[in-house]
This record gives sequence, C-alpha cells and structure tokens, in this order.
Amino acid sequence: MRIQEYEAKEIFKESGIAVPPGKVAKNDTEARDVSKELGLPVVIKAQVLVGGRGKAGGIKIVKSLEEVEQATCEILSKDIKGYQASKVLVEKKLDIKHEFYCGITIDRTKGCPIIMLSSEGGINIEEIAEKSPDKIFSLKCDPLSPIYAFQIIDFVKKLGLHGKILLKVSQIVENLYKVFIKYDGIIAEINPLVITNDDDVLCADAVFQIDDSAMFRHPLLEKKKYDEMTPRTIRFNKKGATYVQLKGNIGLICSGAGLAMATMDTIKTIPALSPANFLETGGGITAELMEDCMEIILEENDLEAIFINLYGGINPIHEGAKGVAKVIRDKKLKIPVVAKALGNKQEETWKIFEEAGVYVYKSSDTQGAVRYLAEIIGGKE
Amino acid sequence: MSILVDKSTRVLVQGITGKIGRTQTDYMLKEGTKIVAGVTPGKGGTEISGIPVFDTAKEATLHFQIDLSVLFVPAGVAKDSVIEAIDAGIKIVVLITEHTPVHDEMFIKAYAEKKGALLIGPTTPGIIVPGQCKIGILPANMFCPGDVGIISRSGTLAYEVAANLCSNGIGQSTVVGMGADMVAGTNLVEILKLFNEDDKTKAVVLIGEVGGSQEEEAASFVKKEMKKPVVAYIAGASAPPGKRMGHAGAIIEGGKGSAKSKIDSLLSAGVRVAKMLDEIPLIIKEIK
Repeated sequence: MRIQEYEAKEIFKESGIAVPPGKVAKNDTEARDVSKELGLPVVIKAQVLVGGRGKAGGIKIVKSLEEVEQATCEILSKDIKGYQASKVLVEKKLDIKHEFYCGITIDRTKGCPIIMLSSEGGINIEEIAEKSPDKIFSLKCDPLSPIYAFQIIDFVKKLGLHGKILLKVSQIVENLYKVFIKYDGIIAEINPLVITNDDDVLCADAVFQIDDSAMFRHPLLEKKKYDEMTPRTIRFNKKGATYVQLKGNIGLICSGAGLAMATMDTIKTIPALSPANFLETGGGITAELMEDCMEIILEENDLEAIFINLYGGINPIHEGAKGVAKVIRDKKLKIPVVAKALGNKQEETWKIFEEAGVYVYKSSDTQGAVRYLAEIIGGKE
Repeated sequence: MSILVDKSTRVLVQGITGKIGRTQTDYMLKEGTKIVAGVTPGKGGTEISGIPVFDTAKEATLHFQIDLSVLFVPAGVAKDSVIEAIDAGIKIVVLITEHTPVHDEMFIKAYAEKKGALLIGPTTPGIIVPGQCKIGILPANMFCPGDVGIISRSGTLAYEVAANLCSNGIGQSTVVGMGADMVAGTNLVEILKLFNEDDKTKAVVLIGEVGGSQEEEAASFVKKEMKKPVVAYIAGASAPPGKRMGHAGAIIEGGKGSAKSKIDSLLSAGVRVAKMLDEIPLIIKEIK
C-alpha cells in the first residue's frame, strides 16, 4: 500500500524526522488559510501517488495569497500523469543549501533491507544512479539484528559530512530505518533530504510504501486502506486476488500471476484479441471468489469473451467452476466463456463448466486454448 | 536420482489439521510421499489420515527421523513455524503459505542461511519427483517421470510447462517451485547448481517472470558453470508497468527486472529463450 506524501510525513514526523511546516488542504480557501498561518512564500504540492509530479506541473512555488488560490485550483483540476489530486500539501518554502538522497528498500536477491544515500539528491537521482553509480552509496543490513548508530554514522560519512550535520543526517537515516522496520516498509524514501541555509536537516519529500501482506500488524493503516475500497475489492483483497483494469476485449481470470502474465502475452499474439484486465486469483479460490471475479470483469462493457485459465493445485477449481456457472445463469450471459482448467478434480470441473455452456479446452497448452477462443469469437461474427 | 527429495525422504507436515493441510496431505500420500508426522499446536495426540499429530516440531523429531518439513500454516505464523522447524534440526523447509510479510521472509531467509538449512518458498507450490514423491500442492496429473529438470518462479506456469512436455513425451526428473514473492528463501542459482550435479537431469527449463534480478544472476551462473543445456521462458513481456513511485526500486535494480533485460542476459549466456510457452518442448527436443 502506497500512502500519500502528507501521510508519510505524519508518520516520519512522529518518528523524529523533521519535515517542513505545512498542512494538507482540500480547496483554495483552505490552502489560503494554511498559507496565512505559515507565512509566504509557500509550496503547493499535489497529493497523487505517482512519480514525476513536479515535472507534470503538480508542484508550484507561490509568493502571494492570490497565487496560492490560483495554483491550488489549477493543481486540483489538472491531470497529473493520469491521476487527479483531491488534496494539496501546503508547505513553507525552504531556503535550500544542499539536497541529498536517502532511500531504503528491499534487496530482493540478497533478501535484506538496503539503505542508499547520495550527495546528489533531487529529481534526477535515477539518471545519476545510471550514469555515475559511484555517487550512490549503499548499505545492506542484516535482517537478524538491529542496526546500530555507529554503523549508520560510519556509512553517512561517505557523503563527506562532519560535525553537527553528520550527526543530524545520521539521526534521520537511523529514524527512517526504524520507521521502515516498524511499519513493514517496502520503500521509504526521502528525496530530497534538505540542508537549509540555517543548517537544519529536513525531509522535503517523502515516499512510503507498506507491505500489503503485513497490514494485519497495522490495523489503523489497514482500516484506512479499506475505507477507500468498494466491498468487493475488500473481499478480493482479503482473499489475495489481484485485479488490474486494462483496455481490451477479452476478460481474463487466471490462477497465478505467472500464468496470468503468460496468458496475456499469448492473447496479444492474436491481433483481434487483447486482454481487458489482469486478474489473478491467488490460491484462495472459492465459488464466491469466482463469482466476484466474473462480476468485476463484467463491469467492463465492451467484452467479446471471457477466458478462464486455472490449475487445481491448492485451488479447488471444481468449487470455482460453480461460481462461474452461477454468474452465467443469473446474468443470462450472452458472450462466450472459454475455460481451460486442469489439475485436481479436473473432470468434475469440466462437467460443471459444460453444463453452464462454457467452452472447455482440455489440453494443457494455453496457445491452443487461445486459438480456440479466437475461433469461437470469429465464428460468432 | 533427483534433487532435494526422493521416495525415501521422511516428511513432516506443519499445519496438517487445517483444511488445506488435510486435503494436501491426502494428495501427497497418494503420490507415495513418506509423511511420517504432522504438527498443529493443541492437536497433539490426534491423527490425520493415519499420520500422528504433535503439538510441536521438536516433539515430532523426538519420535521420528525427519528430513523435510512442508508448511501449510497461516501467513501470520509462517516466520514462527519456519524457525520452529529449523530449530528442531530439520534441514529442508518448504513454505507453501501465501502472503507472508516480506520482513518475515527476509528474517527466515537469513535465519535458514545462518543455521545451514534450505528454505524453499514462501508461496511455492513445492517440489515433485514424478512417480516418487510430491512435497506441496503441485497437481500430480500434470507431471510424468523423465530427465528434464524444471525450476520456476511461478507455480501454475510450472504445471503448464510440465504438462506440455508430457504431451510431447518428455518427462521430468525434479520440478522445483521457487516461490513468487519479493524475497525467496532459495534463489534460482542455488537450484541450478543442484541440477548441474544431478546425473539424471539432462536439461533444465527455467521459468522466470518480470521483477527482481534472479534471472540475470542465473544467466551469469549458466555462462560460467552450467554443464547442461538450459531453456528459459520469461512471463510478463506484455505486462503493464506498475505505477512507479519513489526511485529506490529502480536504483537498486539498475535496469534489471524487465522481461527484456532478463531475456537479453539469458541469451548472451547461451540459454535458448522460448518466446511462447509451446516452443519449450520443441527446443528441448532439439537440444537434448
């Protein structure tokens, strides 16, 4: 789960990481009030969960209250890389002397947290990492032990800092690591980490992503996450299924992300077909979950067919088939449903599908099943 | 021969009394897996399909020699249960459980390494040696005995590739699911090493997917040390890129992680890369 910048900053602040004075605002009036309280100039920042919002016009520095209102209205009505902000963060503008980068994420291959620092923070950090990787310092941490202050100071010294600034930056890195561990972080990032003309060290922009699988340890955040979802998405989420809407004519239900991706790759080899969604059930198939799957993909209007690709390993696919059959009957579904379902209880599954009018493909090759799907759609035209 | 397990492997099932544990225990027994005991705290003294159940893994090891433990436990106790198995002296731990928190995954991976145990998973379908034994949830009717090893980051794709090979008359020596999570207890390279030394495996199919850099590392291992032909398939060439936020992921992967990066590094290591799933049996026939 990714949280907005202002929410991340609330968590960081509680954990002893200094952030610029500021407040979130929902409209121009609120933004004006906040700006008055903070004193001008201020920065107005769109709260959207997408990178590169500054370059897309989602961040504005303003010097008067009129400009505050104008910039807020503009940002809130703007499309920012496909996203719409419903809030802006209004912050006091900092007098920046230097910008660092500090990020913590997971080294997937080694399987440990990794802290990364660079003395060249800001929006071009990825380019710097690519062109001059020697300017990025990284520290792999032992998942079995806590990290000690001296280890962090030793690491932060690589930035060439000393004295008070060394200690201030080290403290922030240490606190960020603590937040990362405490909240089951996937990414915790401060970019830029700013040193002001007064030698204050602050987190000017924050990114925080929390592990969805660990939400049960963070009930308040979990509640917040579910507040923003429909009941069906919540059911989906709790069962471990994943749905992403795309633009296409074939509704897709697959068991397993790898199989779902391979099925999408296969469907795309036939010019007339394109996946309308990515949907992977995970290992928790029940009749009810498959009903939800069918209903969620049927919300799409321009479907020409539904393609189901399942394996019965951990999943009781015969139960899943009942859910599909129910939706076909209840909705008197007109578009064809093509299913490939193999593994434990496959014969029972095929029978349930066939009785509901599903076209069943009984071999294991997804390509063959997709060609069968194409023939069926072609034949109907 | 096979890698990791065979028909003599003595198996413990943790979480044996749950719905999935019970069902899968029966499927495993049917394939000849030598399950000697089960564990569910609070259910000690009972039996599941004739298998004695203990309260702890330690107790089970006092009564039986155990080579491997397979876990069907809730995600919230996965870390605890893996440590329990390792502390009981069990050397191979197969964690089937989905949705284990990634911080727990990092911990148990490091713990297993420190204690000299091999952790497969989480979110792995398990291991099958067709005709001999099956550890985990793989549906046995998709597999057949033979001399091709399969190693896969995706469970259901491993089933599909094996079934496609079987319809082409090609059987498997051992099939290992790595688990599809952000952090895997054991990486592709470690399993490739085992296949490299296994005299019954003549060729290996490697099934990867977008994300992480395991395939890139596997490619460099193949280039340097692999004595057997490897065929690869990478799922997700057409996957929509996730909405990116933050730079940390991109910096650490340094351009790795995409299907293209994986395919390019595998090709440059001399691996034949199948563009579509049904090319795999054809390539195997050519190179074996």
